[in-house]
Amino acid sequence: MRWSGVGTQPLDFAEFYRDAADECLRAVLVSIGDQDTARELVDEAFARAWASWPAVSRHPAPKAWVVRTAVNAGISRWRRRRREVPVPDLATVTDPRATGEASAGLVDPRIMAALMRLPVRQRQVVALRLILDLDTARTADVLGIAPGTVMAHLGRAMAALRHELQPELEQESRS
Amino acid sequence: MNDNELITAVRESVADVRAATPVAKIISRGRAVRARRRIPAVAGALAAGACTGLAVTTLVSAGHPGVASVNHPSSHPASVRLTAWTVARQANGNIDVTIRQLKNPAGLQATLRADGLPVTVSFSGRLNPGPACRPYSTALGMLNSVSQIHGDRLVIDPSALPSGAGLAIFDEPGKGLPVPSGTTPTLGAKPATPPSIPRLLRVLNGPLAIGMVYASQQCTG
Repeated sequence: MRWSGVGTQPLDFAEFYRDAADECLRAVLVSIGDQDTARELVDEAFARAWASWPAVSRHPAPKAWVVRTAVNAGISRWRRRRREVPVPDLATVTDPRATGEASAGLVDPRIMAALMRLPVRQRQVVALRLILDLDTARTADVLGIAPGTVMAHLGRAMAALRHELQPELEQESRS
Repeated sequence: MNDNELITAVRESVADVRAATPVAKIISRGRAVRARRRIPAVAGALAAGACTGLAVTTLVSAGHPGVASVNHPSSHPASVRLTAWTVARQANGNIDVTIRQLKNPAGLQATLRADGLPVTVSFSGRLNPGPACRPYSTALGMLNSVSQIHGDRLVIDPSALPSGAGLAIFDEPGKGLPVPSGTTPTLGAKPATPPSIPRLLRVLNGPLAIGMVYASQQCTG
């Protein structure tokens, strides 16, 4: 990864997108849980990044900027559409735990379900620390919380995930 | 299970998820974002120069001289401003629709159809009942790819419409499209009974909604 900064050449947007899109999408997916929505939000966030590229390219962590923008856009969208009338297609709705199939065949449904049971802030910390691989200080900066709080959220999230997943993962390793 | 094993498991759980949108499409969308940011300044300038006696149904071009008529949609310029609604064709092919008042749906429908969009518009609370406008079975993600909602603005990407599909823009969700018995979507609350039709209703701004329908001469022109 090549970050731009003072004294460096501006980062090329297309190169940045190719390099960061997958990671950003995974981080947003871990934050919100729905693939279609995550893809839409990440596309929108990258579009906004392109529109403000002179500033974003000099951000100390452009990937974190994209993820944060996508998650915020999701929150704003939810607020605008609170009165949305969801009419799901029952023919396409399945319980991943019942079928054992990964959601859209791309994610591990057990781990995703465990992640979705975490509080929102813990999911955001997991997304930034584990998926985007930001350090504690940068994660704290992006989320606007203290580094100690980041470590506390991550510790609780790890404990909860371990508690939920350990029996299944150990059973897998034995079989 | 130690921390490293758990971290690896979490990372691998989403490792197959990859972004599929071409960078060219992102950049195209970025241009639309830039254009949106310019709109308030342009709108402010237009408002300052606008005559207060402008009739609700009077059309004036935005940034272009001349007057376009609702009765001649094929002649509307790239951007047509109506006090009730605005339709603007973007350079990337997207269509921006801003609806301020639920008036003159026929004019809006004709304008959008003139731009090649199979669409039906109703502000009367009901579309034509019967098989003429059948709900198009789709995932919400597909509808999101066709239409983006930004406050009271609707950005439509006609190229994202599946073959044989069109759009329905209407007011009063739950009343605008024929809904099978036993399903009565209600604003602000989940349906009391399990829904039995594909998801298609979304609130745009207040009572306005958009959905996908099967394109037909009778429904979408």
